[in-house]
Amino acid sequence: MTHFPDTRRSLVTAVKSGDGDERARALETLAEAYWRPVYTYVRLKGGLQHDEAADLTQEFFARLVEKDWLARFDASRTRLRTYLRVLVDGLVANESKARNRLKRGGGIKVLSLDLEAVRREVEERRSSGERSPEDFFEREWVRSVFSLAVTRLRDRTTASGQEKRFGVFSAFDLEEAVGSADARPSYQDLALRFGMTVVDVTNQLAAARRDFRRIILDLLRELTVSDAEFRAEARALFGVEPPA
Amino acid sequence: MNKVLLGLLVGAGLGALDGLTAWFTPEVRSQIAGIVMGSTFKGLVAGVLIGLFARKVESVPATLAFGTALGLLFAYFVARMQGKYYFEIMLPGAIVGLLTGYATARYGRRARPTEA
Amino acid sequence: MRLKDAALDRLRDAVRTPDLSGTRYRLVGPVAAGGMGAVYEVEDEVLKRRLALKVVDVPLDGETPAQALLGEAEVLARLEHPGLVPVHDAGRLPDGRAFYAMKLVRGERLDVHLARVPLLPERLRLFLRVCEPVAFANSNGVVHRDLKPSNVMVGPFGEVLVLDWGLARSVEAREFGDASGTPGFMAPEQAAGGPVDERADVFGLGALLGAMVRVPPAPFQPKALEAIVVRATAPDRSDRYPDVPALAADVTRLLDGERVEAHAEGPLERAGRLLRRHRVAVGLVAAYLLTRGLFILFRR
Repeated sequence: MTHFPDTRRSLVTAVKSGDGDERARALETLAEAYWRPVYTYVRLKGGLQHDEAADLTQEFFARLVEKDWLARFDASRTRLRTYLRVLVDGLVANESKARNRLKRGGGIKVLSLDLEAVRREVEERRSSGERSPEDFFEREWVRSVFSLAVTRLRDRTTASGQEKRFGVFSAFDLEEAVGSADARPSYQDLALRFGMTVVDVTNQLAAARRDFRRIILDLLRELTVSDAEFRAEARALFGVEPPA
Repeated sequence: MNKVLLGLLVGAGLGALDGLTAWFTPEVRSQIAGIVMGSTFKGLVAGVLIGLFARKVESVPATLAFGTALGLLFAYFVARMQGKYYFEIMLPGAIVGLLTGYATARYGRRARPTEA
Repeated sequence: MRLKDAALDRLRDAVRTPDLSGTRYRLVGPVAAGGMGAVYEVEDEVLKRRLALKVVDVPLDGETPAQALLGEAEVLARLEHPGLVPVHDAGRLPDGRAFYAMKLVRGERLDVHLARVPLLPERLRLFLRVCEPVAFANSNGVVHRDLKPSNVMVGPFGEVLVLDWGLARSVEAREFGDASGTPGFMAPEQAAGGPVDERADVFGLGALLGAMVRVPPAPFQPKALEAIVVRATAPDRSDRYPDVPALAADVTRLLDGERVEAHAEGPLERAGRLLRRHRVAVGLVAAYLLTRGLFILFRR
């Protein structure tokens, strides 16, 4: 994807646009932001296997467009993220009804493997304090939005010939050092690695972060409809406590 | 009210009251008039002196000490004249001196600083 | 691409942290995250001193919060008073966020501090020190509108600072209409979104006084004090004290054992008050009477 929309138009509006390209881009962004949360949620809440969950996730986005579910979204009553999750709930409920009908007839015992996989995933993430499928949904949403922003940053810096800028940013803020997760490369290390001075490293890093911040806030504006929703979602995205 | 005048009034008043309590001592009851006059005068003089001290030395603890000492001294002279009842005269006398000192130090108006 | 948890946390942090490149400040660490902005401790590399930097927090990004923050800086910069935090600098950071730099306040919040002040007279004296900067601001046409214990700091030398002038408004300004404030400390006319004057701060201070004497270990509250609080927090502002100095004067009278304007005392109350006020003299007279009485009794 090389063309970047300059407007911060909400995706909810763009998805209904007359312009085919704009519609496609909006859907792509929406899917990028939400397919992982939906998949994880479906697996945890619905207890589905990987293949089933993947299918259901695809189906969700297809139906989103077909049945124009976004038309019924009212920003004054709920956030987009919550609305979508509730829709997924509905889909999962219908699916499990269908599956139960099968079980009575078939009695296929594939669930035990699936449970192990999910259990492992939950164990893995238990240290981050998440417990409910809703919490996972939110966490995966945060991860997806940040990932999408990083991708956009990479594409943008590459397009403008600033690969080193992204390189420095990636090396310092994204990569995990071998051994301790906290130890980051020093500015000296980065200077040597990228063939620049330490001052350049500092400046490039600051510039990359500035760009990243702009990108992620723009992205968030696309994913929200109102100012109030933007502020509330920004708090969730950046882990800020709401004002007392 | 300035400290000296306050000292005068409080001293005289307390002196009069103190003198009146002599009525409770039957032996001296007949001389009550003289006792009251003497006690009032004593209190007046002491009060003026304490007031002057309070005005000069702007210190509550010092004035209290001075008042107590003066009250004690004057009471001693009175007791000497009697030749007896030393303790009964001097102790209340000291408290009256202390009271006068407190009144002038605490309630007396500070002297205005003189214009240069 | 899929970001690991550690990378995600680092990125979140990187986005929220203010970009100080090219400025005279070096980031030391976060201090607090408030309603309108986050506060960081920074080092001024020119003057070699630590300052507090208040920045529009990321979630609030936008022109309105930026203007509000810069407005707050302007209000503080105009008012110079020992009870108000001095503002040293204001503007925009390289990442576009509005900021202002102020004195770094070291101390504790009023409600925390009060836990160590068990006696009423001390609490009242502390309250009077809170009134001073507010009265000063009012006299310069500024109303705080958000007075509460968490917005008052007590420094290590007992100095009192009134913080968070983010909701402050000039009395002449007519663009009210926002009912922002803290319930319980907000005057009714402010909650209704109407224009406010210094009596809104009288209300806030009255509510603050009420709160101050309830923090445990709560001292005994004389009726006169309750009367003061009631008058200061009257729903109709024409029933309150006309301004902060009037409120402070009544509290001072209470401290000095004098009759308080807000409270009509009965003869018994008055006698009690006078006895308390002149307790030394009363004690001395009692001592004298006791001595005399004992001598007379012993004689018998």
